[in-house]
Amino acid sequence: MKTSNQDPADGKLGSLLRESRPTPGLPPRFQENVWRRIEHDNHTAPALNWVEALAALVLKPRFAFATVAVLLLAGGLLGSLDGTAQARRAAQDRYLEAVAINASH
Amino acid sequence: MRKTLIILLAALALGMALLVGAFYCARYVCVQRIALSTDDLDWLRLEFNLGDAELARIRTLHEGYLPLCAENCALIAAKKSELAQALAAGTNTTATLEQLRADVAALRAKCQSEMLAHFEEVSRAMPAAQGRRYFAEMKRLTLGAHEQAERSMSGTNHEAHGHH
Repeated sequence: MKTSNQDPADGKLGSLLRESRPTPGLPPRFQENVWRRIEHDNHTAPALNWVEALAALVLKPRFAFATVAVLLLAGGLLGSLDGTAQARRAAQDRYLEAVAINASH
Repeated sequence: MRKTLIILLAALALGMALLVGAFYCARYVCVQRIALSTDDLDWLRLEFNLGDAELARIRTLHEGYLPLCAENCALIAAKKSELAQALAAGTNTTATLEQLRADVAALRAKCQSEMLAHFEEVSRAMPAAQGRRYFAEMKRLTLGAHEQAERSMSGTNHEAHGHH
C-alpha cells in the first residue's frame, strides 16, 4: 500500500544515490579464501565444542555438587589415612621411649 | 572461548583447594585425636589389635618393667659419667679405664637382655601370631640399629671402607 503511494521522484532519487556509491570489486582470491576459512573452522570446531561442553557440564549444579562431594570425601579419606599413620608412628616412638630407652645408650 | 577456559581453570583450582583442604583437615583431626592420648601402650593396641584383657595383662608387665628399666638407665648413666671423669682426669691407669669400660659394657648387656626378656614376656601375653610379629618388630627397632652399625664396621661392608 505504501509503495503505491510513493512519490515517483523518490524512486529516481534512490537510483541516483545507488549510482553515486559504486560497489567495490571483490578482493583477489576471495572465493578461495572463503573456502579456506570454512575448512579451518570445520577442523577447530570439535576442540571448541569439547571445551565448551566440559564448561557447561561443570556449571551444572548436580555435577558441581557431586564433584565437591567426591573431592571432600577423597581428601578426607586420604588425610585420615595419612594422619592415622603419622599418629601411629608417634605412638610407636612413645612406646619405644618408655621400654627401650636403653637401646639408645 | 577465553571465558570458557577461565571457568574451567577456576573450577579446577577450586577442586584442588577442596581436595587439599579436606586432606589437611582430616589429617589434623586424626593426629590430634591420637596425640592427645598419653598412654604408652596405645601403639600396641593399635598395631596388634589387642583386646582389653590382653592389654590389661601387658599393662601389668609394662608397669613392672619400667622401674627395672629406669634403674638400668641410672646405673649406665652413672658408670658413663664415672668413665668420662676418669678420662678427663688423665691420671687413671689403663687398667682402671679398661675396668670402667667393661663395667659400662656389662651394664648395657644386662639392660639389653632384660629388655629382650620383657619383650618375650609381652609377646607371650598376645595372641601367637601377633606376639611373634611384636617380638620381631621390637628386635628390629631396638637391636636393628646396633646390628646395622656393626655390619657396616665388619667385613660385610669392606667396600664402604675402601678395601677391595
